[in-house]
Amino acid sequence: MDKDKKIIMIVIFAVVLALIIGTVIVKATGDNESIGELMRDAVLHETNKISLFGLKDVNPGLISAFTVTGILFVFSLIVRIFVIPKFKMVPGRFQLLLESLVGFFDNLAKLNSPHRNKFLGAYIFAAGVYIFTGTVFELFGIQVITTRGASIALPAPLADINGAVMIGCLSYLIILSGGIAGNKLKGVVRTLKEFSLPVSMSFRLFGALLSGALVTELVYHYIHLSYGLPVLVGILFTLLHALIQTYVLTMLTSLFYGEVSEPSHKIK
Amino acid sequence: MSVPLNINLQQILIHLLNFVILFAVLYFFLYDPVKKFMDNRIQYYQDIDEQAKQNLQEAENTKKEYLRKLNCVDNEIEEKRQAAYKKISENTAESMLLAKQKAESIISDARKKAEDEHNKILEQAQDEIADMVVAATEKIVLKSGTSESYEQFLAAAERSENNE
Repeated sequence: MDKDKKIIMIVIFAVVLALIIGTVIVKATGDNESIGELMRDAVLHETNKISLFGLKDVNPGLISAFTVTGILFVFSLIVRIFVIPKFKMVPGRFQLLLESLVGFFDNLAKLNSPHRNKFLGAYIFAAGVYIFTGTVFELFGIQVITTRGASIALPAPLADINGAVMIGCLSYLIILSGGIAGNKLKGVVRTLKEFSLPVSMSFRLFGALLSGALVTELVYHYIHLSYGLPVLVGILFTLLHALIQTYVLTMLTSLFYGEVSEPSHKIK
Repeated sequence: MSVPLNINLQQILIHLLNFVILFAVLYFFLYDPVKKFMDNRIQYYQDIDEQAKQNLQEAENTKKEYLRKLNCVDNEIEEKRQAAYKKISENTAESMLLAKQKAESIISDARKKAEDEHNKILEQAQDEIADMVVAATEKIVLKSGTSESYEQFLAAAERSENNE
């Protein structure tokens, strides 16, 4: 190991040691919520509200949703202006990443709904990107001030029950639209047969993301769990369930969409 | 009536509005342009593939045509060879016939000539014999000088005539 690397290692080690000592010495300030109150608020959003431009107090998840949309808007705009016009026939790494992403959702739509899939592909792409980015977003722990003056980290947009209900019901409506477009009244009947779908999709998503948030809250609440463990719980679990929930919702939506939009075959 | 889990319809609609905006942004800025590019690329390579297949088909057809022509040339050569062989055979037969006729004519002429020669030699020989007989007779007559000799001569001449 050369001299420069040794110096860097020593500096990193010193910083980590100083942070560990600092976390032990410095006492937490602000209102000391119990873990029970924290978890109850994460589920019901009764106490910690954020002011939406002074118009209304909303759940933190809605602010997260706006932030995620803003981030994706800027990212998409930059990609559209600076990257896509320079696309090559033999793709580079970033182009390959974008093409794989679009190709994955497009193929998922074509595979599960071979008869009608153009709109479905675009929808599951948007939903998939939103769920994944929104879930990973909670890792950044962006701080906001609640209406009570406390500081909280922004959660995943879909850890808010309203966001999860929105995406679950919207997916159901998209499936219904596929049924109408493919089979008219028969499609409506087929979709209505799956009446539990919006509830199951909404609460599956809400439950999965909320459980991630609760486990993270639990880990960070106790000082002795905050060393090393967040690397596993906070990052790996979040990434894993971001991928799983993205796949589950998009796959279910495309599967049901394909089922209700499939042309009915007359029995001879 | 309170909704379980504090579900708020207004916030659901705001979430929906947010997602619709996000959907539009992602569709127009990312999904559609990238998909169009990918579709165009697929089309481009399909066209190239189609063109290559077409060229291959044309090459196959050309090859078949050349092979067909090559086979025709071989057949033509074979026909011409056979015609030439036939002509040569006919010419040979004709030549042989002429040669045979000529040979027969030569032999016939030779035979005739030989016979004439033979007859001529025979006549000469007879003449010579007759001369020799006359000469001998004259000698005998001259030696004997009698009628007896004369009678002998006549008898000899008669024998000679009978023999002939």
